Amino acid sequence: MTVGTTLPLLKDPQMQFGATTFFAKQHKGDTCGSNGLPLTPNSIIIVGRAQTLKTINCPYLCQYLDFIRGKHERTIVVSQYCGTPLAELIEKRRFEPEEIVQIAYQILEGLKVLHGRKIVHRTLSNDNILLQSSGDVKLFNYGLFHMSKFGSLVSFPVFQVLYTAPEVFLNGINRLSSDPKCDIWSLGVCLAELALNKVLWSSLKLGQKIRKILSMLQVNGSILEKIAREHNSYEQYLEMPEDLKEIIEECLNVLPSHRPTCDLLLKKPCFQQFKAKEGEGFRKICPPFEIFTIHELYHWWQLAGGDVLLELKKQGLIRSSPPILSLPSLVLIEGVVLGQDRNPATLYDPRIAQMPLDALYQRFAHIPFPVFYPLIHSKSEIIADADPPPYDATALPLVIKEKDPEYQLHRVILLRRLLHGYPFTKDFIVEQSAKDIPPLLRGEIWAALLNIQADYETTYTRIDKVTHTTTDRQIEVDIPRCHQYNELLSSADGHKKLKRILKAWVYQNSQYVYWQGLDSLTAPFLYLNFNDEGKAFACLSAFVPKFLHNFFLKDNSVVIEEYLCKFSQLIAFHDPDLANHLHEINFYPQLFAIPWFLTLFSHVFPLYKILHLWDRLLLCDSSFPIHIGLSVLTQLRDRLLTSGFNECILLFSDLPEVDIEKCVLLSTSTYQNTPRSVTSREHENGKFHKKDELDIVGLKLEELKKERCPRISANDVVNFVRNRPNDVLLIDIRNPTMYSRCSVMGSINIPFSSVSFSDNIIDNIGLHSAALKSKGHKVVVVIGDADTDLETFPTFLLQCNISKVCVLHGGFNRLLSVTPTVLTSNNAM
Amino acid sequence: MIPGKRDVTYINHQYVIEYLITVPYDDSIEELAHIIIIKNNLPLYVEKELKKDIKKFIEYKTAEYYEDTSTDVVQKAKDQQPDIDGIIKQWEKIMREELIEFGEKRCASDEELFATAYHKLVHSPALETMLQYEHMYSKTIRQKTEKRNMMIKKLSDRQSEEMNKAVNRLEQDMTESKINELVSRHYETHSLLQGKLSSEIDTMKEAQRREYREWIMEMLEENQANSSLPTPSSPLNPAYAENFKSRECNSRSQINLPILEESFTIHLGSQLKQMHNIRILSASVMELCAIEDNEQMSEPTPQFLQTALGLYSDDLTGLVLMTDNKIGSRLSQGFQEVCQRTTEFHFPHIEEQLDRISDVANKYLKNPQPQTSRNANSELLERGDFYLTSHSNLAQVHVIFHIVTDDSLKGSDINSRHPVVLGLRHILKTACANDITSLTIPLLLQYEMTEDMTINWCEKRAELVFKCVKGFMIEMASWGGSELKNLQFMLPEGISSGVFTSMTEMLPRIFKVCNPKILN
Repeated sequence: MTVGTTLPLLKDPQMQFGATTFFAKQHKGDTCGSNGLPLTPNSIIIVGRAQTLKTINCPYLCQYLDFIRGKHERTIVVSQYCGTPLAELIEKRRFEPEEIVQIAYQILEGLKVLHGRKIVHRTLSNDNILLQSSGDVKLFNYGLFHMSKFGSLVSFPVFQVLYTAPEVFLNGINRLSSDPKCDIWSLGVCLAELALNKVLWSSLKLGQKIRKILSMLQVNGSILEKIAREHNSYEQYLEMPEDLKEIIEECLNVLPSHRPTCDLLLKKPCFQQFKAKEGEGFRKICPPFEIFTIHELYHWWQLAGGDVLLELKKQGLIRSSPPILSLPSLVLIEGVVLGQDRNPATLYDPRIAQMPLDALYQRFAHIPFPVFYPLIHSKSEIIADADPPPYDATALPLVIKEKDPEYQLHRVILLRRLLHGYPFTKDFIVEQSAKDIPPLLRGEIWAALLNIQADYETTYTRIDKVTHTTTDRQIEVDIPRCHQYNELLSSADGHKKLKRILKAWVYQNSQYVYWQGLDSLTAPFLYLNFNDEGKAFACLSAFVPKFLHNFFLKDNSVVIEEYLCKFSQLIAFHDPDLANHLHEINFYPQLFAIPWFLTLFSHVFPLYKILHLWDRLLLCDSSFPIHIGLSVLTQLRDRLLTSGFNECILLFSDLPEVDIEKCVLLSTSTYQNTPRSVTSREHENGKFHKKDELDIVGLKLEELKKERCPRISANDVVNFVRNRPNDVLLIDIRNPTMYSRCSVMGSINIPFSSVSFSDNIIDNIGLHSAALKSKGHKVVVVIGDADTDLETFPTFLLQCNISKVCVLHGGFNRLLSVTPTVLTSNNAM
Repeated sequence: MIPGKRDVTYINHQYVIEYLITVPYDDSIEELAHIIIIKNNLPLYVEKELKKDIKKFIEYKTAEYYEDTSTDVVQKAKDQQPDIDGIIKQWEKIMREELIEFGEKRCASDEELFATAYHKLVHSPALETMLQYEHMYSKTIRQKTEKRNMMIKKLSDRQSEEMNKAVNRLEQDMTESKINELVSRHYETHSLLQGKLSSEIDTMKEAQRREYREWIMEMLEENQANSSLPTPSSPLNPAYAENFKSRECNSRSQINLPILEESFTIHLGSQLKQMHNIRILSASVMELCAIEDNEQMSEPTPQFLQTALGLYSDDLTGLVLMTDNKIGSRLSQGFQEVCQRTTEFHFPHIEEQLDRISDVANKYLKNPQPQTSRNANSELLERGDFYLTSHSNLAQVHVIFHIVTDDSLKGSDINSRHPVVLGLRHILKTACANDITSLTIPLLLQYEMTEDMTINWCEKRAELVFKCVKGFMIEMASWGGSELKNLQFMLPEGISSGVFTSMTEMLPRIFKVCNPKILN
């Protein structure tokens, strides 16, 4: 089989991107916001506002890819950039009227999308209309006015002088207007330039240009005609087809209210031909599946060493003069800074730096074609053999895998296909997620793992997130303290979105109350689905019942106490030394672990760690968090064992750095090696944990609190006896008579009454102590009945540092009903 | 009402709805429809119809709003009402100020050119030679200065001897007027000599500076012409350099007195932890700045290497120097002398820098701003104000923050609202905005130990400064500038090791110290 190279696929002329950069306005002096907290830097607000631009996907608009904050309020915008600006072609080639009409149509379609989202372009000009080799156009840099909040977050004016509508100048510098009609004027000027094939007023100076535009207000006849006459192009004006002339003249109306809207213009008969063409065929029903998107290409480019900042520096868009040459000379106590000149490097420079992709092409040159079309359902060995061997990265640590461009290429290609088939492909997604989750698709994969249904948006829309409620105040206090190191979450838009999601949750879950910590719990979902509040909400709504069932009840003390008891018991089960030490110094989980479990560690760890932790959590059940808790303790084990109560409190008041990959490995390993019933809880969500009479049911909290060793269900014991008898050590503590009458297969008898519990010495149990000492990894199940003390004996074993001790729930009699039986009679003895 | 918005009331007679809406409406119309449905207990099936109706209403009202606002403006302009020239000027001004396209075309200044050249060369194999020359230049100045001091001392000795004799003979043949005459003659010769020698040194420095800068530029040109690594050629006699090299550097102990110091790595932030280095040390501030002056040294000190490498980088080093309310007052004489020990190759001389700062201050203070509580007409600075000077010939420091303090710092009752503490906050802010990533702060806000500074006093003061600086650093994370990587807290020289230990024990209680990473 010949394997083609993928380069032609990657070298799509439209899969190119460039970057622009500017400075956000610096806050003056020392001002605080209305909530008394320091003001959010404008660059962060910009990054937050800009996110929504990434979701715009229209063939006539360049896609936005990334927004990066540099030092000192620098903001960098990365977006698709391909083709040639029309401005470079004017006066160099002829534009046929039909071509101009098509361009007008495509610009209008683009503007329609923007205006529909309440985005005003404001800088529409022939400099940022890019003509593609296919003859289509794409608008570029249409988001600047939106992301800068109508220009208020930057100090430079957002427009292109020549193309700006007169009312923009008249409104003055400080009045913000979001009237989309100014784009229609700009369109008129662009089209006029094309139709006359003249660069307008190129010889005028800045002031004269503004004056020229304002002089249009006095024109009583056709503005287009006036322009044509002033550029000695009256003949072209006369030759111009009527429909084109009409469009331009309607656009160039000095009264914004008399200018038509995009919709109105698109109704013109001359545009109908294009409309008909567009609605043809398959596209109409569902958008075609893209083999890879430009977002993905950008992601791989970055992984392959692409650095926007460096590229901007190389191409001279970031110029820096040494800071020591521009220090202020005097700063007064009031905060007045004197003797520092405006750094000329901070002026707005609209140039665009094209990002070179050669390094990426080279990196991916050897990748065979089939990689882009992975077979998912094929079981045929012949096909599997013909495929190139899979890219092997299993041995690498997770953080490295996430940075490996080739590995991420494979993962993204495969998983996006699987997501495309969701929910049909759910099982494949789970299987692949167990390996690792590609960061680029994490939001969608999580949603799939949480079984989010397709109608999540409608559900979210129907919730009232606006009306004031009593919890608003608390939410407003918590949000500015929630993961604020993250740019998205600290932006104004992030705050607004988080508040809406929390309010929606409170609205939807009237049985629960808003507990502090819910904000942290929401943060990862919002971070991953910043442009899809509905999905973030749906994830939260699916996550809470699965992992934190009833944690947010107004009185959640019973649920939490049970949870913490199970945590203590799990520590005892796996690490008796540590459990005994913590017990001795009275350092109970109540003192440190409540925020751990209530927020599932989202209040404890930074986001990037939470993501890795939850990647695994989402594949496990609600007992996994206590395994995580155990793994955190295990990492700090040495320090805990040598510390007293005070040191421990101090240690946990600000949790030391925890290695999260280790944490995931450790908790997965204990999770897999612990019988499920050991961590089963009375307050688990019954929807996820079905129980029968052989499971642990009806255990009272008071009882549970007394027990230091966990219980195990009859089901798990039966399972051990039947399938893994070598992994278990069954200790029957009833009296020998009863034992000999009937006992569990393979169990040993250590009569309760025969043991002296005065010292914690394992030899006290006599004959069988050797079996316990050399038990290794075996689970020790203590089996008794109503007549035996089921607390003292297991506690004794625990104090002797015997690990994995548990007690059969319901005692020996519970096993009587099991068929086929696991019991045997020892009469022969 | 919010500017740029208008409140309108949506009325729907069919379903008896009245609802206040602000146009232009930013949020989702669908959501609005559902809120109205919920509020009015309407059945869900009206959803579609209601949505359509609200959408139409909002579109209409928005268009009306825009029409009202813009038509008015345009109509007025059509009638020539507003000041068109004013508007044009306003826009022209802001565009010239903010857009590179219309801004003044500006060439790189001499300073910037030299900075680029120096930065490039200092990060090339030419570094060693460059430092060697700088070192030899400073050597010459030092020798010259020493000679001057010696000559002046000799003169003084001779004069005082003469004077003593004269005074002894007062009873015999000397009269008071003669003595006075002698005094004035002595004074004259003294200042004459001093002036002459000092001006010689200044001329020499000026010559060195010129020579050195020219040499750097030449070397760069040569480098660019050959497009190879610069092969430095000396402006000085090479034999002279050899001469220096042959002498061996003496052991460190002779150069540096042992100073008390201890370093910590701390982290700030509750979830995402930001690391910083902190060092506490006890030293004299002048010695910290001064480049070691030692006859035996043939090589430039490593501290100087550090200064040179970082000079034009984004990682500057700063030091907080306490001074009084008069720029360049006697209090800073000691510091000025340290600066003048060697030639400043990069920045204006210290006096010139201070003069410029005085000019800036005077200009501002003469026209006091109405809001401030500043004493009108006073040209003196106030506590907490600070000015900055730049240096290339000091050890381990590029920027000095001269902060204005007074005797109130000797007291024991200052709190976090004290102007000097606020001044520290401004210093951190300025550092953050100007890429100064290492900073030295006097922990006790005192340079010398006095009897009043009991251990209690020291602990209280240290706690205040630690806690305030910690707070400022947490704040700093949101300022969006460069972060402070290294922070040095300086204690007065000669502090007892007991007090020092109590400071180093206090630090981990206030800052969270990182756990050691254990490799296994």
